[in-house]
Amino acid sequence: MKIIIFGGTPGSGKTSMIKFAIQELKEKNIHYVKFDVLNTKDDLLIKEKFNISTEKKISGDVCPDHYAALEIPKIISQNKDKDFIIMETAGLCLRCSPYVKEGLAVNVLNILAGNPSNYGPLLSDADVVIVSKGDLISQAEREIFRSKIIEVNKNALIIDGNGLTGEGAIDVAEKIRKTKETKENLTLKHSMPTAICGYCYGNKKISSQETLKKYNQGKELKSRLPNLNCGKCGFKSCNEFIRAVLDKRTDENKCPYIKNGS
Amino acid sequence: MKIEKISILPGIDKENKKENSGKIDIFKGQKIGIVGPTGSGKSQLLYDIEKLAYGETKTKRKIQINNKKADNQLKTDPIRKIIGYLTQHMNFMTDTNVYNFLKTHIKTRGKYRTEEETEKLIEKVINDANTLTGEKIKRNTNLLILSGGQSRSLMISDLANISESPIILIDEIENAGIKIKQALNLLIKKEKIIFLVTHNPILALDTDKRLVMKNGGISKNISTSSKEKEIASYLSWIDEYFLEIREGIREGKQIEKLKLNCNPIK
Repeated sequence: MKIIIFGGTPGSGKTSMIKFAIQELKEKNIHYVKFDVLNTKDDLLIKEKFNISTEKKISGDVCPDHYAALEIPKIISQNKDKDFIIMETAGLCLRCSPYVKEGLAVNVLNILAGNPSNYGPLLSDADVVIVSKGDLISQAEREIFRSKIIEVNKNALIIDGNGLTGEGAIDVAEKIRKTKETKENLTLKHSMPTAICGYCYGNKKISSQETLKKYNQGKELKSRLPNLNCGKCGFKSCNEFIRAVLDKRTDENKCPYIKNGS
Repeated sequence: MKIEKISILPGIDKENKKENSGKIDIFKGQKIGIVGPTGSGKSQLLYDIEKLAYGETKTKRKIQINNKKADNQLKTDPIRKIIGYLTQHMNFMTDTNVYNFLKTHIKTRGKYRTEEETEKLIEKVINDANTLTGEKIKRNTNLLILSGGQSRSLMISDLANISESPIILIDEIENAGIKIKQALNLLIKKEKIIFLVTHNPILALDTDKRLVMKNGGISKNISTSSKEKEIASYLSWIDEYFLEIREGIREGKQIEKLKLNCNPIK
């Protein structure tokens, strides 16, 4: 079983490229998961078109990438018999990347959506970058865009893709076939921002137990902090400070107001 | 790298039928027309050539350079790229000025040597572009506000001066409202291989051969006959006359006389 994760801004052509890639991989046993925030019908459309198992995951009030990481263990345990699990993420704020180290990370990048240096780990952590909508601009601009991608991500395979004609899908499918089998213990390529769960306190191991442990550590520390975000510890906010303490990058006594642990 | 020859190996058309064109060889110095109705696959053929496709595009065509599959770097690395491509696009999408755009492209193509040489090259690109269009392009003009004709002229001059590729693909140069003849003179230099998608009969007949597209595939491969070339030169005369009247009207003249003596233009 191999895990393939597609990320990219809305409208970049992720779903179209995935459809063409599934077409190329039709001899394989594939499970498709679509993550979205509010609603989607792509799971039904893909199920109907290719007759493969699909599901949708709607994140609602939770950050979609956090939600994806929380759901991955369940998805894997239910689909161990598949050749590939293709996950399409919602990809919204560019702060994170939803990729795991043990799978293939594919970024679909809309050439019209601005300078590649504006993208964070979504682009810089990708193994494959599919540049979409390149047929809409001149060769000179395409060349410049490509060199700017390389400035951000030297190692990725860059593919010219076209969501209308399926150009590039053969190259993507080839790369998916060559992806290594995914073992247990997945790790995020890039940690998630501070918010509400164990991943928010910087946990990178995809495991319910690990993330709960980190969450409890974070919660305990938070209860002893003033939550003033005064910056005297050297960090912008108490949340950032908590992460740094849990990562052992700083000591909890750096906060002048901390209450001693019980 | 020396390009002696480029070959197109048959793929499939829109109905998955194999193209019966056989292997098509094109040698350096040759000019090839690509003709056919809209939607017949002309731009796709250019795309296959630009990509130096080897079975991975939807047409499954294979493109060989000097009888061999092209090295991967030739396909992707702009510094080593051997194909210059003038697409049908009439507008730029990058929010920057003409000068910065050209400078970045010069660096991307690995042409940057000294500041002085680069300045000279940028000036030449802008001057050459200005020979093709009416309103002059200035170096500090934003790319996004250039007119269709100005954008197209700048793309052509950029292709001729900065990309300098041995193989040139030109997609419907006649659509831009620019001076076609001067534009082709800029692009077409000795020893290059030129592919020209066109609906213009003069351009189509002023070639060594032409590929006729139908339903996504190459349906015919016609060598231009001497009779056809002769007809093209008469058509050129009509075209020049037409342009003369157009310029007259643009300048506010009244057109009262009709010329009837048609002389071929070599």
